[in-house]
Amino acid sequence: MNKAEINDQVTSYRRFLWKAVRDATDGSAWFYAWMILLTALALVGLHAWAVQVRDGLAVTGISDHVSWGLYIANFTFMVGLAAGGVMMVIPAYLYHDREMHDLTIVGELLAIAAIVMSICFVVVDMGRPERFWHMFPLVGRFNWPVSMLTWDVLVLNGYLALNLHISGYLLYKRFLGERPSPKWYVPFVYLSIFWAISIHTVTAFLYSGLGGRPLWNTALLAPRFLVTAFIAGPAFIIVLLFILRRFGGVPVALRPVQILVNIVRVTLLINLLMVASELFTELYSGGSHTASGHYLFFGLHGANALVPWIWSAVAMGVISAVMFLRPDVVTKPIWLTVACALAFAGIWIEKGMGLIVPAFIPSTLHEIVEYFPSLMEWQITAGIWAWGMLILTVMLKIALPILRQPHPEPNHAVSRENASVEADLPPSLAHSQR
Amino acid sequence: MTPRAATTLIILGFTLTATGGQWLLGARPTNTEATSAEKPFRTPAATRSVVPPHRPEGTRPSVATGLVNHHGEAVGVACMTCHTTREPNRENGLNAVPREFHQGLVYAHAGQSCLSCHHAEDYDSLRLADGRKLAFDEAQNLCAQCHGPQTRDYLNGSHGGMKGYWDKTKGERTRNTCTDCHDPHAPAYPAWTPVFPPRDAAARQQAEREARHQDNH
Amino acid sequence: MIETSEQTNAPEAGGMDRRTALKVLGATLGAAAFSQAIAPLTEWAENMSLDEYLQKHYRELSPVDLAMVMARMEKQTKEQTGVDVHIQDYRPQPGVKFGYALNLSVCVGCRRCAKACHIENNHDRPSGNSYIRVLEMEKGSLDLAKGRVNYDHPVPHPDKFYMPVQCQQCDKPPCVSVCPVEATWKESDGIVVVDYNWCIGCRYCEAACPYHARRFNWTKPQVPAAEINPDQGYLSNRLRPQGVMEKCTFCLHRSRQGKLPACLEACPTGARVFGNLLDPESEIRWVLKNKRVFVLKEDVGTQPSFFYFFDE
Repeated sequence: MNKAEINDQVTSYRRFLWKAVRDATDGSAWFYAWMILLTALALVGLHAWAVQVRDGLAVTGISDHVSWGLYIANFTFMVGLAAGGVMMVIPAYLYHDREMHDLTIVGELLAIAAIVMSICFVVVDMGRPERFWHMFPLVGRFNWPVSMLTWDVLVLNGYLALNLHISGYLLYKRFLGERPSPKWYVPFVYLSIFWAISIHTVTAFLYSGLGGRPLWNTALLAPRFLVTAFIAGPAFIIVLLFILRRFGGVPVALRPVQILVNIVRVTLLINLLMVASELFTELYSGGSHTASGHYLFFGLHGANALVPWIWSAVAMGVISAVMFLRPDVVTKPIWLTVACALAFAGIWIEKGMGLIVPAFIPSTLHEIVEYFPSLMEWQITAGIWAWGMLILTVMLKIALPILRQPHPEPNHAVSRENASVEADLPPSLAHSQR
Repeated sequence: MTPRAATTLIILGFTLTATGGQWLLGARPTNTEATSAEKPFRTPAATRSVVPPHRPEGTRPSVATGLVNHHGEAVGVACMTCHTTREPNRENGLNAVPREFHQGLVYAHAGQSCLSCHHAEDYDSLRLADGRKLAFDEAQNLCAQCHGPQTRDYLNGSHGGMKGYWDKTKGERTRNTCTDCHDPHAPAYPAWTPVFPPRDAAARQQAEREARHQDNH
Repeated sequence: MIETSEQTNAPEAGGMDRRTALKVLGATLGAAAFSQAIAPLTEWAENMSLDEYLQKHYRELSPVDLAMVMARMEKQTKEQTGVDVHIQDYRPQPGVKFGYALNLSVCVGCRRCAKACHIENNHDRPSGNSYIRVLEMEKGSLDLAKGRVNYDHPVPHPDKFYMPVQCQQCDKPPCVSVCPVEATWKESDGIVVVDYNWCIGCRYCEAACPYHARRFNWTKPQVPAAEINPDQGYLSNRLRPQGVMEKCTFCLHRSRQGKLPACLEACPTGARVFGNLLDPESEIRWVLKNKRVFVLKEDVGTQPSFFYFFDE
């Protein structure tokens, strides 16, 4: 590579960045309102976190009995969302479904935002966040491979790097109007599929490896986590696509949505089966090991704070599963959105507050201490969600105009399914620009 | 003559043992009490003995009179004051405690007579089962005659409180004796009011739930 | 999108149009709000020195480093509370492995052990923290679910027995395995310790412990100056920082000098037996050999060094 070529590279990369900044900050009044709202929420959360660091975690509702709460619940959920986001990659690459390729970038961007959120949720849960460097190699002490948390640190950061690389590389090449070189992204794509499974498995092992917490100490946890990831991720992307179509004028191809709907349809049922299996095992065998399950579903000795939550989650799971099974629902965007929202919210409860909190109730000495998140915790949680949505919005703002540029490949096969358009979708929305 | 008047006379005319004043009321001598920042252990009044279970060195066994001297110290009368002249009554203690001078003594120790443990000829001594005399300081050996398992555990460090060093090469260890904790006349361990109730969320929530539960019934 | 044409026509640099001006204004406002939001962090950072922040792991500190660290902590305590404390690094003795046994027939549930722990270990006063929790159990069952901690009637109740629980100093401690930064470890005399200056406060160990033995400093522990125990161990009862874990160390600042732990000394009934498991003549060994002992939750495989037994 000679000097002129390097200069060209630098110039074009600078152009790419400049366009990114411009695209990310330009928009309609709605866009600005949305961004201001998210920024305000993120700042409220940031302030609450700063107070929490100064005054200690005493400002939360967490205690020595219930030592993890809303933060770790959201962390768990976010890891699932991140893993689920990349699952779009499987049909796209394993089955060479070109239709899905643009969608995979959306999935990867969602994964990036979700990973950032999950890392934030861990950081705000730490008593001494400034000591994060104690984990670094050479200067710190990293209890790898014994501690599952060190595995989680590795896989989450690795996953973040992978997705940044894949989506960044593909977008940059598309921006340049060049064909991406397969050797620079295809291996990483396959790695990211494996990695997506690993992040959620490792996160499940974080809990299921603890013999003192019977609610978590089940081999079903990792499969459940993966299945719920395959619900939350696709459900979010379906809704995201409808939002982009409605507010961003982005055309949505029908086939990818159909694939996502098929995934959620199956995973919702598998998840219900798994929840039922857990519930049966808990209730039929009985004994003190099942006290947490009893607390969660029925309350224990007058303590029943989580009972309405978990039954709401079960109801949402059942209703959304029924909705996803009905063809007349999944073909109507508005009903499909409702079904996705129900599935998403149900998983958030079931995997967050419904999984993390009850493992501590009753405590290991069988004391019953309930957990109620404090206002501060809600502020910080909302702040991190806003921050994640902010990142996602900015990334989509950068990515979508680039994706709208034509594919460099000349002969892009038109899939047959895509040609036939469902009656309730306007024809213009069923085309992806080529 | 009322017992009270008699007591007063005795105090004026005979041996006075004001030195042991505090323990005469049943309180522990401070040298065996070491829990810092806490009041000395007191047997609840209902089971408190007239004769304290443990006595400071250099004092003779005595009974409390219920009176105090001008220093505000309790006044006791040595056992020998009366028991050198009186005939011992072997029935005492089997069903009832003696009326005079031993008022308030609660007796609940397997229905033995006083003279099972107190020496009839020498009230400054205790009596072993074979009739030998035993100094009050060595009361443990008396207890050991019946309470074998407890004595075994005691001798092996698994019964009775202690303070000091686990590593005896590094320092001393002081141990309670039987009568530090058990009233020899009513040896059942007394009830205590527990200290230091938990004040965390667990205790608070448990109390709230129990209150709710009671309201519902 | 409406702004698409605008975007493509916009100049690459220079030319301050209205939109750019608004963006700059927005960014300025955002930056100002940001600095306001993080203001509490600067207050918090003022109380921390660079030496403290960069301090190495306990096991990487040289004796000289450690002496300096302890001197710094003593000075800091003097400045903050006016109390002269003595922080020492008590090391495990060779040939010693501590064991503890508790006689459930003798314990009366008076909670004096929990109180002695509170005082000895400089625990936070407002929360009444202690490493010991005393369960009042139903006779006829060892089910912890039937236990309760906030009993307030005279003890012992004739229908109950009492079970104090504290750190079991497990030989397979789950709390140690899960720690991501090796801030907690098991020493050669069996005591599981925490480096308060290395712990990141993730509380994974608290989730992993099956005995509710670990405590977190939810805020800076408050101990009135007059009540501070000045005899302090670096790995045990020195005043803890906010946001880190702590736990029972069998009073290592006492036990490693050959003294009995504070909870044992406070026990009026002698329910507690402490000693060296490696010494066949020790009282703890006598208990293990002659009493029928059990450990709590043997099924979770933690292999505790803390034993329970009954007389009858």
